[in-house]
Amino acid sequence: MGIISIEKANNLFWLGRYSQRVYITLKGYYNGYDEMLDKNGLAYRTYCEAMNIPDVYGSKENFIANYPYDTENPDSIISNLYRAFDNALVMRDYISTEAMAFIQLALFDMKNARGSDAPLIALQNTVDHLLAFWGCIDEKVDDVETRNLIKLGKTVEQLDIILRMKENKANIKRSFDRMNSYMRHTDISYDEAGYYALAYEITRDTVDCEKALDILMNIFYI
Amino acid sequence: MEDLNKHVNTVNTLLARYGVRFGIYKNGEFKEQLFPFDPIPRVIEADEFRYLEKGLAQRVTALNMFLADIYGEKKILKDGIIPEDFVYSSSGYLAECEGIMPPKGVYSHISGIDLVKGKDGEWYILEDNLRIPSGASYPLIARDLCRKASPHTFINNHIEDNRDYAILLKDTMDHVNTGGINVIFTPGRYNAAFFEHSYLAEKTGSVLADANDLEVVGDYLYYKGYGGQRMKVGAVYRRVSDEYMDPMTFVPDSVIGVPHIFEVYKKGNVALLNAPGNGVADDKGIYYFVPKMISYYLGETAILKNAPTYLPIYEEDMNYVMENFHKLVIKDVAEAGGYGVVFGDSMGSEALEAFKETVRKEPRRFICQEVIDFMDLPILEGAETVERKADLRAFVLTGSDVHVWKSGLTRFSRNPDSFIVNSSQGGGFKDTWVLSR
Repeated sequence: MGIISIEKANNLFWLGRYSQRVYITLKGYYNGYDEMLDKNGLAYRTYCEAMNIPDVYGSKENFIANYPYDTENPDSIISNLYRAFDNALVMRDYISTEAMAFIQLALFDMKNARGSDAPLIALQNTVDHLLAFWGCIDEKVDDVETRNLIKLGKTVEQLDIILRMKENKANIKRSFDRMNSYMRHTDISYDEAGYYALAYEITRDTVDCEKALDILMNIFYI
Repeated sequence: MEDLNKHVNTVNTLLARYGVRFGIYKNGEFKEQLFPFDPIPRVIEADEFRYLEKGLAQRVTALNMFLADIYGEKKILKDGIIPEDFVYSSSGYLAECEGIMPPKGVYSHISGIDLVKGKDGEWYILEDNLRIPSGASYPLIARDLCRKASPHTFINNHIEDNRDYAILLKDTMDHVNTGGINVIFTPGRYNAAFFEHSYLAEKTGSVLADANDLEVVGDYLYYKGYGGQRMKVGAVYRRVSDEYMDPMTFVPDSVIGVPHIFEVYKKGNVALLNAPGNGVADDKGIYYFVPKMISYYLGETAILKNAPTYLPIYEEDMNYVMENFHKLVIKDVAEAGGYGVVFGDSMGSEALEAFKETVRKEPRRFICQEVIDFMDLPILEGAETVERKADLRAFVLTGSDVHVWKSGLTRFSRNPDSFIVNSSQGGGFKDTWVLSR
């Protein structure tokens, strides 16, 4: 396309973030669901705390039934998918109708999955369509800047969640490197001092995840 | 064609997948709706289309000449063909456009002409849309999906391919481009036709921009990049109406306009498609005079007929209207989208008398037309085929020449008792096939 406006850069970045948030939180939901089947019925509380989601559920049954689908709850998975969709819809001319349609399909899938007696299986379609969306971005979007902005959003989100989940150092480092590679290939404005502080934090023997997350949340001017 | 009918649900599902919707505001709330697609096409034979093509090109040529004249020498007024006050009292007339000649002299680049086919076999023009006519994207995407769903239908019938619309539109923009990129200027995500804006941007390779993406610097319009770069804009297919396009010239509190864009246009440094001020030519009142324009500018008789129309400002017409109110359709010239249309036969006697009084008091506000008993078209309703009223919006693109798109948007009413086909009023759409032989 040649040139991307501030608003569109913002849409691309957040399209990447929200679609990745949906993907990772669905994976988290799968894992948590599985864990709660036969042992820790309160695992969802730890998850909510780590994700900074208010525990409005009260029970694992309620969490399982509502966390993916509750359109009234801004923290639900579907609410984040709607945000991804809102950003995709306005970027049809940059990402292609085909790619946009995969987000639309993921949304249809999630609506259809509600009430299923096998939600983990029903939600698999959403995961598949998100993966197809990423494949389509690589296949259909020729403009490198456009792709990099979406992928920057995607990798920022991944690092954000990995830090929230206090994953191991290797995973944190891997996510940071991925984010870094896209960041270097966009014109996005960022706080350079913050960036180096984050890089330093991540290379330490023991990563202070809260501190790193705090820095990450304030790096990008977008 | 039966094969295509079997795939109606598939095609509608695919349309939903690709976000083919239109938005409506109801009770102050924005809602998006799917635009129901009916697979039974309107079929126009090759000979019939040649006739329509000739008539539509003639009409749009005359309308463009009228616009150049009205904002220029005003010969048609001086010669008494159209009453002056009819032009100057039109809400579509913009004094700010006086003396401006748009790039290459084209005013209406994309014209949407609404027609119906009467039961007498005659085509009638219902209205001209020369501001921001929408709808071409629907048959465009539907055709693509239908060809996938039922390839045999397209092997067995000789149908003109309508998927050249994006090329025609791009050529139209390129023709008037003053140097720079092509932009489709949208009011934004919550506009009724946003799907069309984004789809046409994708298909024409134009940049979809809203007011925040554009700025005027010096005498030029630019698209602003997030890294601080700027790109000069040469042509703007604007989907923002005249009054909101530039807060410095028109409605001052418009937040969807670009300050000073009109000044850039005035200096000839950007093309605006369609040109501002076109509303004077598609005013429902001016419609009455289009056959006279054709005769005046081209020395020809109008090929396509208007629906028989009466202007209550003329005494003779007022008398006829008052005597025949019950069988006429009365249209408020300021309204669009199927609103402000009242059928005399649908009113009780009290309401009818009250409305007559309104027409007497505000004769310039209304036009009255004979109700054209237009042809029903078959539509699928479940497994059954039923007949419904349908119109045709033909698209005429004016660039280096006048080109009538070999397709069009056929809209139909889903209500068996209604003549109103507008999507905003619950109508659906069909593809329009023009046969190649």
